[in-house]
Amino acid sequence: MMPGKGLHRLAYFVSDAWDEWRHSPGVNLLAVGTLVSTLFLAGLVALVLDNVGRHLDEERGNVQVHVYLRDSVDPLAREGLRLELARTPGVAAVETVDRDEALRRYRAWAERSAALVAEIGANPLPASLDVTLVSGPGAERVGDAIVAGLVGRAEVEDARFDRDWLARVEALLSVARLGGGALAVLVFAAVVFVMASVLRLAVHARREEIEIMLLVGATPSFVRGPFLVAGLVQGIVAGGVALFGVEAARRGIAAWLGAEPLALVGLATARPLPAGAAALVSAVGVLVSLSAAFFAVRRSV
Amino acid sequence: MDGARGFGEEPVGRQPASGTSNPMIRVHRLSKLYAGGVTALHEVDLAVERGEFVFLTGPSGAGKTTLLRILLRQEVPSSGQVLVNGRNVAALPAAKVPELRRTIGVVFQDFKLISRKTVLDNVAYVLNVAGLSRSEQRRRAYLALKGVGLHHRAAAYPAVLSGGEQQRVAIARAVVNEPDLLLADEPTGNLDPDLAVEIMRLFREINARGTTVVVATHDRDLIQRMQRRTIVLERGAVVNAARATA
Repeated sequence: MMPGKGLHRLAYFVSDAWDEWRHSPGVNLLAVGTLVSTLFLAGLVALVLDNVGRHLDEERGNVQVHVYLRDSVDPLAREGLRLELARTPGVAAVETVDRDEALRRYRAWAERSAALVAEIGANPLPASLDVTLVSGPGAERVGDAIVAGLVGRAEVEDARFDRDWLARVEALLSVARLGGGALAVLVFAAVVFVMASVLRLAVHARREEIEIMLLVGATPSFVRGPFLVAGLVQGIVAGGVALFGVEAARRGIAAWLGAEPLALVGLATARPLPAGAAALVSAVGVLVSLSAAFFAVRRSV
Repeated sequence: MDGARGFGEEPVGRQPASGTSNPMIRVHRLSKLYAGGVTALHEVDLAVERGEFVFLTGPSGAGKTTLLRILLRQEVPSSGQVLVNGRNVAALPAAKVPELRRTIGVVFQDFKLISRKTVLDNVAYVLNVAGLSRSEQRRRAYLALKGVGLHHRAAAYPAVLSGGEQQRVAIARAVVNEPDLLLADEPTGNLDPDLAVEIMRLFREINARGTTVVVATHDRDLIQRMQRRTIVLERGAVVNAARATA
């Protein structure tokens, strides 16, 4: 086909699709509404998974072993232990937290519980060494080895490597991602089916028109063209509206929570959907809409 | 026919080339059986010469519409041969059907206009399908409408037109692409007698410009008035294909 003829065809497909939109807005709005709702929900799920995933990544980069020291340990012995730990492979940094600093941190953490802070008389908190591990797959092994190596040391009262919660949340997130993936496939198929059914209504309403077009010599691809262009545009529009809705919902939640974000909700909606995920949601919208238009029109033409 | 010229303006009649070996339509032992054993056409033999004006008549259920549908490749025959302008319609691959249809103008009893398109766009659609530029489509469509006296209703939608006007739009659409053959299935079935005569006048003008015209109708008065060759079908078979005596 000549490029000029191709452009002429494309221009006709676009104008005919728009013409059809103007004449039957109901069915088309129903199709777009269905797609927007689904993409909005998919966008929200992607937003939550992305934020929780990012938070876990940050936590993973901040894996620490807390070594609590006996009160009897003198500064020299404490520094010796700090240097020993700092030389251990897999350790990124070791910070000394003396008893006063520990109390200050506790007060800052518990400042909303004034009664609890007021009850503290003499400082009951031990000094500690906060050992930050190099993040990565080997961090857990290094942490376990450090804790095991400190058992029975005279300077050490207790050593804790609380990685269990991280492992649990990671496992939960993996399940959520896996489940989300499977759900996405199911939702994709379901939405294609629903959209195709809705669009089939539009095609059915135009069956006489399609018959006329074929009778006067239009090729099936010429008849299908406007339907596919409409599907493409509907997918793009629905994707844009859904993404706008997701971001509006995120900002709305942030404004509603104000300065005291609920931990989980605030965590799940802290950052906007990244560009990659937004592009994926848009692409899925276009793919769903185009597939639905294709299946709907294929039956009649 | 020159589509840039209104066909009511310069009728230049052409005599049917009877007896030539290359007719516009050649049907040989054509049969069409539907599921359930219903026979619509049985061993039909007929020929329509180039430039001829032929009526196809017979009672309801005689097979007129089935024959036209086969000529337009809306249906495939069960057996036999159908040649339209030298093409074997029965054996035509599906991909070639649109090409065949672009050489055939077609007019239906129920007009079959696209309700959401204007009169001009309905007529121009045939040219759009053929790949003509938008300006050329509009120019030729306007002239075709002028030929049927409806250029002043170009911007109207079919729903606001009378039956006679809608049929004239359908005729303009059928001839705008300068077809070799015009098929009309009961084109006056929904019109009153005066309008029927007007539609026939248009067909005669189209024919005079060289287009072969086949009109299926059971309106005997109209057939008698037109004095053209009439092929009579009964129960799926040709019972008379005599040439009319003018």
